[in-house]
This record gives sequence, structure tokens and C-alpha cells, in this order.
Amino acid sequence: MSKKFKVSICSGTTCYVLGGAQMMILEDCLPADIKDEVEVVGSSCLQKCHEPNAKPPFVLINDYLMESASMTKVIDYIREHR
Amino acid sequence: MNYINNAAIIKRQVMVRLAKLILDDTIQDNIDLIPVLMTPKNSESVRCCIHHDRAVVRSRVKVLLGFAAASESQSDEVKLLKDYAADAVQKGEDKFDESILTVIDDACSACIRSKYQVTNACRGCVARPCIMNCPKKAIRFEGGHAIIDENLCVSCGICEKVCPYHAIVYQPIPCEEACPVNAISKDEFGKEKIDPQKCVYCGKCMLACPFGAIMERSEMFDVLRDIKDPGKTTVAMVAPSIAGQFNTDFGKVVSALKKMGFDKVVEVAYGADITAQKETEEFVERLEHKESFMTSSCCPAYVQVVKKHIPSIQSYVSTTLSPMIYTGEWVSNQWPGATRVFIGPCVAKRFEARESTYVDNVMTYEELGSIFIAAGVDVVECDEQEPDKSASSVGRGFAVSGGVANAVIASAASCGVKAVSKPVNGINNKTVSLLRVLDKTIKEPAFVEVMTCEGGCLNGPGVTSSPVIAKKFLEKMLK
Repeated sequence: MSKKFKVSICSGTTCYVLGGAQMMILEDCLPADIKDEVEVVGSSCLQKCHEPNAKPPFVLINDYLMESASMTKVIDYIREHR
Repeated sequence: MNYINNAAIIKRQVMVRLAKLILDDTIQDNIDLIPVLMTPKNSESVRCCIHHDRAVVRSRVKVLLGFAAASESQSDEVKLLKDYAADAVQKGEDKFDESILTVIDDACSACIRSKYQVTNACRGCVARPCIMNCPKKAIRFEGGHAIIDENLCVSCGICEKVCPYHAIVYQPIPCEEACPVNAISKDEFGKEKIDPQKCVYCGKCMLACPFGAIMERSEMFDVLRDIKDPGKTTVAMVAPSIAGQFNTDFGKVVSALKKMGFDKVVEVAYGADITAQKETEEFVERLEHKESFMTSSCCPAYVQVVKKHIPSIQSYVSTTLSPMIYTGEWVSNQWPGATRVFIGPCVAKRFEARESTYVDNVMTYEELGSIFIAAGVDVVECDEQEPDKSASSVGRGFAVSGGVANAVIASAASCGVKAVSKPVNGINNKTVSLLRVLDKTIKEPAFVEVMTCEGGCLNGPGVTSSPVIAKKFLEKMLK
């Protein structure tokens, strides 16, 4: 059965260096209440950093594109939308 | 641990913008716009107002060009960044005096001097154990609660322990707390100053400051200028802690470096192989001469700790050169006249490189990553390539604590010399005191590996990856 949330973390160099690196351990840091509903996948560059005024790091949660993403922002979003 | 935080991200954003201008050759036209572009009109300010934010960004650019943050004269205060950029071209290496870490006064929030504070949880109780037990009579009662006189307080912490309401809190000055050798302290205005006579360039204050007020004087301007010069051969000498810094295998970093403009890429682990061999020979010889122990010498911040603070153990420090120097020597013979750039996670390497004739410049992974972004090079998308000089897993193991000791003790054992490992994993106030008495406490033949950063270079001040991730990639490289 597929999980309710698919979180794709952009690991392109721009996102990675500007704050994304810390999110690579997101899977290990998911709180127990949402852990079973979330699938974390690494993604090659989502191509969003090329746009003017882009705010990396980017994370794609299902269809929602989060800019200036952080671990806590992702967890909060999932809790709000479950 | 080197957690990512907003101060670090802002620093990297400024790096990316500056690197882009250098690469595009538009520095003279656009460099003074960086503070405005970083904090545009009507944007949310981090400090009191956007003008303060812009002033700090201006100082950051100045430091990234290689200058100290402090203004030397009034005319420096109004000097345009493009004039600093012009000076940076002309002055070259002369712009570096002995300071490597520099405090941006505008960014330093001048944290309160008194480390113990009475919060409004104070109930003004009758018992008043804080006042009764303060050995310096530094606490008085005013307006219904206790007040600590910062001029009398000696930060013993007794009041915090005895308060029944936990109303007294310890509020550290992060940079001073992080410095293992008391090299950073306040001036008469409450701003922090680094004493160059005491500083060991470990970079711990820089990581600790929540305002990002401490920066290392960058050499990225000089490196990018040489990379762009078609008449120059530039060699990237990459430390073994590169493993996983961009969430990829090393082979991709090799081709990313070449795409960015480096002509050659060499593993510093090659020099580490030489260090391991020579250091073992030295160790065996010392033990044969009845010396009780020897310490490693490849961590440049530790070398400075001994030189400036614990001269009594100087004779026990290995005289074998560091992997960076052996690699630089090999590169100098292989490609005479080339610009030799060490790329690693380390602030103290900048000092070591300046003292050596085998290395020209030092860059951190953080700076490298910012330059990749500016140049539009995505490491993940690159193909795998072999470096121009590779190394064994012994040398690559130098990136984590234990790597040097394992190498030396194992090969000493194969020469029939038995010794134990007494590692010092991380320099802090406690381990500095331990090192002070090392010559009196070690009783059996021992090799003492000292790493200033806890966990080793993978946890250095200039890394981009969490050490957890980096370690996974390094283990793969060691197979």
C-alpha cells in the first residue's frame, strides 16, 4: 500500500548547500505519530532553483512545492494536512 | 556539531552572489548591489531594520574578499565594495596579516556580560537562598526580586543551584563558551575581539555565534581569479573528508571540480599515506629512544594549541609533516608553477598553508559548494571521473577520529613495536587541561592522536554535510 505523503527532497547542489543537507536525515527524524504515513525519497534537482528569486531548499510533498524548506516545516505541514 | 542554521545559510547566499560576479566579470559594476539584493526594500529584516542587515552583508562581502572586517579608518567606513575588490586584485596575498578569523562588529550583538540572570520567575521569597549563599555578595533585592550585580558576579553558579523556583538561569556567551583557549573576549564596548596571540584558528567561535558575527577571511576571490586565468594551471587538492559533502560519490566531485575550471584534481589522502608511513617510522624511532609517547601533528589547530598554550609537550608532537604539505610537495614537482588549492573543512589549514611554500590557497567545502552553485554546476548530475592522483584507504581514513592512530599503531605493530592508542577526540577546555599533564600521566608506550574537531575532519567548521551522512559515504570509500 502506498503511503499518504510522498516527500521528495531535492538533493541538487543548490538546495543541498543552502540548507537541504540537514534534511537528508528526515526519515530518521520523523515523529512516531506521522512516521507510518510518510515516504521519503531523494530527488535529483527539481529545477526550481533556476527561477528568479528562487528560495531553496525545495521539497515536494505530493503535489505541494515547499520553498525555504526545513525539517520542522515539513513535519508541521504533514501534521496539518493528514 | 555543525548544525545548519539561518546564519550559515545567509553567509552561503552572500558567497554565491559574490562568486557569480567574479565568474561573470561584473564585480566592478554589481558588487555594491549585493547588500541591497540580499535585503531588498520592504523585505523583512532580521535585525532592527534592513539598513542594519545591509551593513552586515557589506561587511561579509568585505571578509569574503579576504579583508578583516574592522574598519581601519573613517574613510574605510564609506569605502565602496568595488574599491575593496580593486584592492583585492592588487594586494594579492599581502592583504592577510596574522588574523584569520575576524569579528564583524555590526553583527556582534554584544551579548550581556553577566552569565547568570534572574528571570521574572523570581518570586521574591523570604528564604532568599541566592542572597544568603552568594560568596561575593553580588545579589541584592530591588523592586520585589533579586538582581545580580554583573561587576561583582564571578559566575560560580551557586545562586542558580539554590533557587527553589529555578528563576536564575545560566546564559552563556556562545563564542567565549566555545573557545577552548580563552582567545575571544569583550572590548570596552562589549563587542567580541579575538586575541591573535592566543587564537588557534579552530573556528569553534564562528560556528557558535548565533549572529554569524565571526567569519574566516576567505581566499575564494584569489582562487577564482586563478581559475579564470587560462595561462595558469590550477590544482585542487581535496581532503579525504570530501566524502559525502555533496551527497554524492567522490568521482562526481572530481568532474564537478574540472567543470568549474580546475585543471587537475588530487586526493590529499595520497599525502596522508605518506604521513602515515613517515609518522610510523618516527614513532618507532622515538619509542626505541625510550620516549614514552608521541602525539599526531596533522591537525593544524592542535599544533597551534601546543605552540601557544602547552609548550611543555612540544617535544612530544610528531615532526612529520601533514598530508596537505606532502600532497602539495608532490603537486609542485608534478606541475611546476601551478596554483595549488587545498579544499577541506578546516579554518586552521589557512594558517598552515600560509606558513608553507607548497600550498597557495585554502578553500572550505562551504565555499566550494557556493562556487558550484554560482557556476551552475550540479554535482549530482556530473559523471564519475578518476582523480589525477588517488590514494589508499589508509590515507582516506584520516578524515575521522581514530584514522591516524589506527594507521600508525597497526604498522608499528608490524615492525614489532607495541603501543596503545590514547586518542583526544575534540579540543575543549577539558581536553586542554588533560593535554597539559599528558607527560606526567602517560605510563606506557602510547600514540596520542589529537583531533580538534570532535569526530574528526568530517565534523570540521567548513563542512556542508551532516557528519552522519558524510560518514556513510566515507565508509564506502574505505572499502
